[in-house]
Amino acid sequence: MTAGSLILEVKHVSKSYSENGKEFRVLEDVSFEIHDRDFICIVGPSGCGKSTLLREIVGLDLPTSGEIRFEGKPVQAENPRISMVFQSFALFPWLTVLENVELGLEAHKVPEEERRGKAKKYIDAVGLAGFENAYPRELSGGMKQRVGIARALVMDPTLLCMDEPFSALDALTAQNLRDEILQLWTNPDIPPSAVLMVTHSIDEAVYLADRIVAMSPRPGRIVKIESVDLPRPRNRKEPEFYGWVDEIYSLIV
Amino acid sequence: MAVTRKQLRAAAAVLVLLAAVAAVLAPGAALNAGSLALLALYSTIRMALAFILSLVFAVAFGTAAATSKRAGEVLIPILDILQSVPILAFFPPALLFFYYSLGGSAVGEEFAVIFLIFTSMAWNMAFGVYEALTTLPGDLKEAASVFGVRDWLRFRRLFFPATIPKLVYNSMLSWTVGWFYLVASEAISSGSLNLERPGLGSFIFAAGQRGDVPAILLGIGALAVVVLLLDTFLWRPLSVWSERFRMEQTAGGPTTRTTAPYERLRWLPRFPRIRRWLSARLAPLAKGWNRAASPLDHYYVSHPKLVRTVRWVDLAMFLVILVSVVVTGVVGIAAILTSPMPALAGEIPAAIAASLGRLGLAYASALAWTIPVAAWVVQSPRASRFVTPFLEVVASIPATALFPLIIAFAVLAVGAFGLEAELSAYMVALFAMQWYLLFNLIAGMRSIPGDMREAAKVFGLRGRIYWKRVLLPAIMPSLLTGSITAWGAGWNALIVAEYISYAGHVYRVGAGIGYLIAYSTYTPGDQGRLLLLSVLALVVVVLAMNKLLWRPIIKRASTRFRIEIQ
Repeated sequence: MTAGSLILEVKHVSKSYSENGKEFRVLEDVSFEIHDRDFICIVGPSGCGKSTLLREIVGLDLPTSGEIRFEGKPVQAENPRISMVFQSFALFPWLTVLENVELGLEAHKVPEEERRGKAKKYIDAVGLAGFENAYPRELSGGMKQRVGIARALVMDPTLLCMDEPFSALDALTAQNLRDEILQLWTNPDIPPSAVLMVTHSIDEAVYLADRIVAMSPRPGRIVKIESVDLPRPRNRKEPEFYGWVDEIYSLIV
Repeated sequence: MAVTRKQLRAAAAVLVLLAAVAAVLAPGAALNAGSLALLALYSTIRMALAFILSLVFAVAFGTAAATSKRAGEVLIPILDILQSVPILAFFPPALLFFYYSLGGSAVGEEFAVIFLIFTSMAWNMAFGVYEALTTLPGDLKEAASVFGVRDWLRFRRLFFPATIPKLVYNSMLSWTVGWFYLVASEAISSGSLNLERPGLGSFIFAAGQRGDVPAILLGIGALAVVVLLLDTFLWRPLSVWSERFRMEQTAGGPTTRTTAPYERLRWLPRFPRIRRWLSARLAPLAKGWNRAASPLDHYYVSHPKLVRTVRWVDLAMFLVILVSVVVTGVVGIAAILTSPMPALAGEIPAAIAASLGRLGLAYASALAWTIPVAAWVVQSPRASRFVTPFLEVVASIPATALFPLIIAFAVLAVGAFGLEAELSAYMVALFAMQWYLLFNLIAGMRSIPGDMREAAKVFGLRGRIYWKRVLLPAIMPSLLTGSITAWGAGWNALIVAEYISYAGHVYRVGAGIGYLIAYSTYTPGDQGRLLLLSVLALVVVVLAMNKLLWRPIIKRASTRFRIEIQ
């Protein structure tokens, strides 16, 4: 497998909090790279700092030491080239589907007609055509997360970050959305160049990722980075799939 | 459960009949009815102006306190203190600033009145904004940040909408409180100065001074009609609309509701046609605001210097507020320390104790009737259908407007023992406190999940054990919310309750902090120091109660129950 051009570098990142005078180490010396056309899953038990790592990559949080570089420069908050999908969807309940999707473009001063056209394109792409004027509370959980995905994609991101995007959904809906994410990702007309997803489900990581970053609990350290070379579409019932799941499982427990 | 047209017609017929009876009994008062409408209009406009001021203040103050940690550390204690200062204490400074500075003109009087109503409306709204913003889900803030939503756009798209449910709720509360003090504010007196602005409040006050019962009833009736009209056409639609801005409890799946939450004023007619007409008229307005605001977004973002200037002006304003509060406090305390104690100052501790006892008694009796009534209303939909509208109408009449009736009753009941002032002070406090308890309790009992009720039934929980194990724990949060609001209202009400001037006669209690404050405000001569001392004492007591009583209870309760202080 030939790697594309380098998009993101995480170099020796550590993070610690101090609470009541005691220091808690959350991340310890984490390093990895993301290249063009990568689909990377960070897997680890809860409390391994994987969400903290993702927040630092998006620029919502700063590492205590180490460095994160995006396209050669240190990451900055509010970078439109990095987008994010939230576990809890984080939709604005008082805005319609269309307004929610448009919000990031509005913030970046995209003219109204252009942003409307773009927003509609991605609302169609996630299968929500006809729901432009609905409010989030009128949608099911799966539909809400589709809005979350459209809102992230409409920014034309180079890197799409997802924080446990399917864990608030029921099993069937989650599986449908996983397949759709893969489909969107293989569509050359649609960004992003690379996807970085945080999950605690090993099964989900083996199903989706090219590479899996396996992390240990407290403080979070990278145990191993595995390249999953199973052909797509992957079948959960095949022994090779099981083999991968078992191997990752043995790494992080 | 809207009221049917038939019921409306019946209600209108009863009103017309009452009006006719009143006209026959008191032709003079009936002649006043036309001018009464005008007075009602004056009062409403005054309330609306004070409300707009409060709204601007609350949004600016609350947002500043919630979004900047450093500003919050200064602003929230200030707000705490302002909220516990009784409104009467604002009389002298209000007069000083607005009346004398404007040369004693009518405009100055008007400003003073509006400022006083403002002081009864603004603080809880500011707290509402602050609470809404500090409880804003973190992921929404993060989403805004990831997508580059900042400054003005963030205020317009995130902060302001997030405050709307609490803002609307607190606005309704503020109007209730505002009507209560309108009666006191439209006829201000301080020392030898008496001001009167035309309005329903001063009309009722003047009628009370003359002992003109038909005119008093007319005034109360007009006040009730205005309050109900506003509820029908403003607050009820607004509170329905504000539901759209409420955060959802669960992240996944469509929200499920086990029981309908308690909505006040459900029974009011909905007038769908008028409402549609209104919303059609208002839609272009909202669109216009959006269109006008969006170039502002860009301007704001592309002029970082402007942003910085605005922040400096903000900071300067906070400093001015802070310095003036500190200076007033220091000067006041210095004045007290350097001069001999006023003669009545020694009475303050006993007065506080007496007032505390009075409020405690009113609170206990309010609890005694509101808990069973709330349980009854919630259990029986039929009772709720007829009792709720009745209670809400009665609750809409401010207790200050009922003074004359309360006094007449008190004189009749215990006048022979010379206790009429004690009884009327207790009754005014009761009227000021009970509705907050009742409506919070009804809301709390309504929100007990259906499956919890069913589980109680399945396991045979009934009678005492049902109350002890299910009902009381479940209503704990709303009981606390109601109690805190009720005590706040009670303290403020005491100031007007312990010293009532009616039909040329002054009804005053034996001892009470409210009496001391009212006495030092209304009595000619230099009572400034006594006023300052009594207000200071009251503020300290109210703050101590909040910090030493309610705060720890809330803290303990919130580990066991889910507490939402509105």
